[in-house]
Amino acid sequence: MPIIKVNNRDVHIQELNRGAPETILLVHGMLGNLSVYYFRIAPILARHFHVVMYDLKSHGMSEKITSGYDLNSLTDDIAHLLERLNISSVYLAGYSFGGLISLKMAARFPQQVKKLVLIEAPNPNDDKTRLMMDAYNKESLENYLNGPDKKKQGKRLLDRKHRLYEHLFHETTIKKDVLQERDFFGAAEIAQIGQDTLLLYGAHSPCLEAGENLNAKIRKSELFALNGDHDIPLQEPERIGNMMEMFFRTQLAQA
Amino acid sequence: MDTIVTAVKLNSNEIFNLLKQFITEVIGEEFIEEMDISMESSFNKDLEMDSIEIVAFSEKIKAHFGERINFTGWLSNMDIDQLIELKLGMIVKFIESCQ
Repeated sequence: MPIIKVNNRDVHIQELNRGAPETILLVHGMLGNLSVYYFRIAPILARHFHVVMYDLKSHGMSEKITSGYDLNSLTDDIAHLLERLNISSVYLAGYSFGGLISLKMAARFPQQVKKLVLIEAPNPNDDKTRLMMDAYNKESLENYLNGPDKKKQGKRLLDRKHRLYEHLFHETTIKKDVLQERDFFGAAEIAQIGQDTLLLYGAHSPCLEAGENLNAKIRKSELFALNGDHDIPLQEPERIGNMMEMFFRTQLAQA
Repeated sequence: MDTIVTAVKLNSNEIFNLLKQFITEVIGEEFIEEMDISMESSFNKDLEMDSIEIVAFSEKIKAHFGERINFTGWLSNMDIDQLIELKLGMIVKFIESCQ
């Protein structure tokens, strides 16, 4: 199992096509893990690139950590991971909360981010995410997972998910740390972002407005609304993989 | 690294037992005892494995068989529903066909 030590903490990583000269780093979202890329998107990107995926702290198979969920700490984590892997710069992509981490990374460490892809990055000033955290309890999780369109999940899986929610929302600083980032989209650093940026959103996603907001703020960006909602990496993995590959390999059409 | 590439050709029963061992390592012996694992077992419904556990399981297959079996390449052709419905017997057949 590829668990590596980064700053003396266990981090689960997966790599594909290690021999390729250029690296793509993929960042997953809150309550998710690297599997959002592993099965469909990463193999497409690995045709021409070295692909690195990692599990955020407390997520997937990485070590549980009680603090450091603000965007500065999470981008420090990426900088340390790249240092540990001896990678000087990457093509960077992030999904949902991972998109916010990637955006922050491009702002803080521009020399390490060659191009940027943001998939369904939400506006942290949107109350929905925080309300979801406040309203969370085991019963609501069960209702959500076993809702009319969801398959009934077994006890072991439900317990696993429950433990992750419990840990993140009750034993770590994540709620406080995310709240602290609520004005991130208004920050001057967003307008300073100079990397070519591809914004991929679901046409039916409540986050599409956040994509339009970023498209207006980032100098060299293009926004595409794909058929789907916030779950587009699962709904349109092939399209996303192919679009990312083309974007990383070519120049954006300049207006 | 924990790569143990084996060149010995396995029959379907041996592959099944090996995969069962990988599943036990991933989800833990205490849960396996309550399950009746067969060729017909599906990963999501019967084995109740979530996606990160299937990643761990895939890595064990890669580590064991090495380059001969492009397991993630095979999985990458499936959509999410096919992945959820994936049965143990299908993987046994796939590995057998690659040997």
